[in-house]
Amino acid sequence: MKRLYKNFSALLALALVFVGYNTFAQATPKGDLSIAINYFVDNNTVPSLLVRVKTKANGRFQPVEGVTVNLFLDKDSAGTAIGRVTTNRKGEASIFIPVSVKKQWATSVKHTFLATFKGDKKYEEGKADLTVARAKIVLTTADKTITATVLELKDTTWTPVKGVELKIAIKRLGGDLPVNETPTFTTDSTGQASADFKRLGMPGGKSGNLILIAKVEDNELYGNLSVEKTVNWGIKFTPVNTFNNRTLFATRDKAPIWLQLISYSILFAVWGVLVFLVFNLIKIRKIGGQV
Amino acid sequence: MENNSRRDFLLTGLITAGLVSGCTPKTDPFEAGASDVALPSGKKVKLLSVDGEEIEVDEAFLKPVPHMPPVSNTEARIGIPGKKFVMVIDLSRCKNLKKCQSACNHAHELNPGENWIKVDPMQDAEHTAPYWEPTTCMHCDEPPCVKVCPVDATFKRQDGIVLIDSDRCIGCRFCMAACPYSTRVFNWGEPEIAPAIASQPYSCETSVPQKKGTVGKCDFCADMTRMGELPHCVSACPNGVFAFGDINQDSVSNGAETFRFSDLIKDKGGYRLMEDLGTKPSVYYLPPVSRNFPFESGLENDKEQNK
Amino acid sequence: MENSITDEKIIADLLPQKFGKAGKIWVGVLTVICLIGLFAYYRQLRYGLIVTAMRDYVSWGIYISNFVFFVAISLVGSLITAIFRLAGVKWGAPLTRIAEIIAVAAIIFASLIIIVDMGSPERFYYLFTHGRIQSPIIWDVIVITTYFFISILLLYYPLLPDIKILLRFKQKSGNGLHKFYNYIGSFWQGTPAQFKLSEKAINILCITIIPVAFTIHTVTSWLFATTYRPGWDSTNFGAYFIAGAFLVGAGAVVVAMYVFRKAYHLEKYITESHFEKMGRVVVLLSLLYLYFNMNEFLTPFFKMKKSEEGYLNGLFSGDFSVVFWFAILIGIIIPVIILLFRQGRKPLPMFIVGIMVIVGAWFKRYLIVTPTLLNPFLPMHDVPASYHHYFPSWEEWAITMGSLAGTLLIITILARIFPIIPIQETLTEQHEKAI
Ligand code: SF4
Ligand code: SF4
Repeated sequence: MKRLYKNFSALLALALVFVGYNTFAQATPKGDLSIAINYFVDNNTVPSLLVRVKTKANGRFQPVEGVTVNLFLDKDSAGTAIGRVTTNRKGEASIFIPVSVKKQWATSVKHTFLATFKGDKKYEEGKADLTVARAKIVLTTADKTITATVLELKDTTWTPVKGVELKIAIKRLGGDLPVNETPTFTTDSTGQASADFKRLGMPGGKSGNLILIAKVEDNELYGNLSVEKTVNWGIKFTPVNTFNNRTLFATRDKAPIWLQLISYSILFAVWGVLVFLVFNLIKIRKIGGQV
Repeated sequence: MENNSRRDFLLTGLITAGLVSGCTPKTDPFEAGASDVALPSGKKVKLLSVDGEEIEVDEAFLKPVPHMPPVSNTEARIGIPGKKFVMVIDLSRCKNLKKCQSACNHAHELNPGENWIKVDPMQDAEHTAPYWEPTTCMHCDEPPCVKVCPVDATFKRQDGIVLIDSDRCIGCRFCMAACPYSTRVFNWGEPEIAPAIASQPYSCETSVPQKKGTVGKCDFCADMTRMGELPHCVSACPNGVFAFGDINQDSVSNGAETFRFSDLIKDKGGYRLMEDLGTKPSVYYLPPVSRNFPFESGLENDKEQNK
Repeated sequence: MENSITDEKIIADLLPQKFGKAGKIWVGVLTVICLIGLFAYYRQLRYGLIVTAMRDYVSWGIYISNFVFFVAISLVGSLITAIFRLAGVKWGAPLTRIAEIIAVAAIIFASLIIIVDMGSPERFYYLFTHGRIQSPIIWDVIVITTYFFISILLLYYPLLPDIKILLRFKQKSGNGLHKFYNYIGSFWQGTPAQFKLSEKAINILCITIIPVAFTIHTVTSWLFATTYRPGWDSTNFGAYFIAGAFLVGAGAVVVAMYVFRKAYHLEKYITESHFEKMGRVVVLLSLLYLYFNMNEFLTPFFKMKKSEEGYLNGLFSGDFSVVFWFAILIGIIIPVIILLFRQGRKPLPMFIVGIMVIVGAWFKRYLIVTPTLLNPFLPMHDVPASYHHYFPSWEEWAITMGSLAGTLLIITILARIFPIIPIQETLTEQHEKAI
């Protein structure tokens, strides 16, 4: 719970910083936007950015939909444009770093991302930036012990970083389950943090595989990093499901056989009689015609 | 809440597997277990890797999937393979803030006055202590509402979610009579929704837009779960009352904390409502012991709607 | 040959008669009520069910009560016609047509009222294109359709000989009606072969209609009994509904007997002895219904389960107690007391008893639906205050009254077109007596 509040206040602080970038309107009172950039790299592959746009309404920060933001790498110029994104209903927009900025990317191991909003009828223009250094996590496992190493790229060598907080967890839907009671780990002088896997007997699907995940979240220097590793530490588990069985709560084509038998036989019997009676009427009619 | 959104924004599947598949029903449902493997879509995009290389990535492995098409009605009726969603509601943390309710109402564009989540003041007997009990649809495994629906308008999916097809519902309200949890609401008149939303085609997974003369209820945010995100009520509650997850993965999360489902139920004595009816709900409750808030702290917030 | 004189007299007595002044006013009033109901339904179509007082807790209101009521009344067709016939009860013969006409009219409005209750009536046909055999509603749709069809046949077959007689009186029936008679029955010559076939058909119908009538009732009760709700979750419900239906159906026949007797001067054909015998039947049925009521309420009362406590107290001493005791007294107990006396089985008291039974039965149906819905398992909370109560809106009343008026209108019209007492059967009976 605390963690949630902590995150929220961190974001609030971040937002307040960006408010400083905003200029103020003269005539119509336009709203101010707070823009925040987040940097993500998963599995040391493709870096991406997530932009969050909020505004203060009724004393609370509310996400803003439909704000178009231009993103640049290091400097605001045509050659370094990452792209243009528009926020969704949750006030978020995301983009991968395109191939077009390859040259600029190669110039340094540290980059600054710029976000600019030109302003529109409702909101003042706004800006944000974020500087991150290149880092990665290496995840190794041995005998139910998991070791995560955080390395930073200094010039051309990967050097271990001390004191980085990270999480080591099993990847699950909606949230990652810590591998033991410790919620977070901190790297030591060798850049390493180790955790014992204590979640015995976790269901791991048909193959018994679990996906471990180590992640650094919201780090001031490195952004958000995560790596995954599949291990065979779960138990094999095949869920049973009544879906599509013939039950009373199944769809119409899955009605229980006994029910269909009973109801249709009654139905046919009764309507058989009725049809017979109608034919009977026709017979009576015919007799009447002959006379 | 922040945690969540961050989590969605993952690039998955390159090395191992995606968190939630691109929802292709063709995936072997049970291979998944831990998490599903998205099928390659065949559409590749060129991106810059962190090492400055140009690499090609299949679109299906990108998270969030760029422009995820809305699922078809057929797919929405089948559900996500290999999953079985559950919710755990911790009564000891609830102080009737009703944030879950307002987030839900907002997300589903509910008609004002309508609530899919209700927070009931409960007192089981004269000398027992009162507590607040949020109720949603229980997504019963043997849902009486589905049993009685004459036209397949409400249905049970393989991932356990019970949904409503408002384009099918004839408005007979038999399901409302059959549901022992009184969770279903009816759109008695034309719902007051913004015209832009009201004119959208109805989707069973988002339950938007609600339509006159049809029934509605909590949908476990099937659209969110398809994207691997938590339902709106879960992320809206500042007290972490709701935890949501997949029982096949034995874990539930309230956004900030993730628990092993079986341990949580064992340690806190979890139970389900009206077990004797045999409806087999998917929503579990943790009893209101060692509470975080006194019952009275929620009274103020209850006045407005319950004069 | 004095027989033939009597024959002519009988025929003249029993031929359908043109509406007199009272008849015209009666039809006019009914039509107006129907039109008001139609207007209310137009409003409901336009604005949705919001015009009713039904809300999320009381999601079924007097429409459903009314539906159950109509279904109940319709059972009488099978009672008087089939059961009496199979049991060899001869005196019931003059009442069969009345019973069948009531049954047909009631079943028509039962199906109409269920459409009225739907939130999206334009999707009515989904019941046929997407029907799920697991749902009791589909069972109900099937049996109602079947019962309607059987009732029509059971009305039609015995009519054939009468139509032949009617065709003789072109003058009296007028051109239009004559053509209609011609269209539906000119083929009936009354040959022995035809009689034989028709006789057989009526016998088969009488046998078939009994299980179907029981089914329509039982299935209607299952709409409630297949749920968990306090007051509905009862294994007694099918029998309880059937017993109630027999009673209200018999009540309706008594009322109709009295009215037709008065209006068409049929004292010779519907005699005091008919009332006397129907009185006994009503007593029997009342006691039967009382018995099922005891079953339905006494045992739950004895246990007072927590979930049923609110419901039962509401009925016995709470908000619904007035209506509840009214329905029990007016609908069952007082009729029994009146009818136990010979004087009570005279036409006029019988007529009053019939009305009491019907009114009591209507309120009973209301009590079957609403109190249960106002006593859900979980508290009624986080809903607008108006959701905690139910009192029907004017639209609901108008539609309900309109449907009742519509039923009466159909009965009236059918009685205008067809002889209310089977002529041929009466003749045959006379001849048999004479021999
Ligand atoms: S809680 Fe009610 S609506 Fe939800 S699945 Fe169960 S019976 Fe159906
Ligand atoms: S109201 Fe709609 S969803 Fe409910 S039972 Fe009727 S048709 Fe099915």
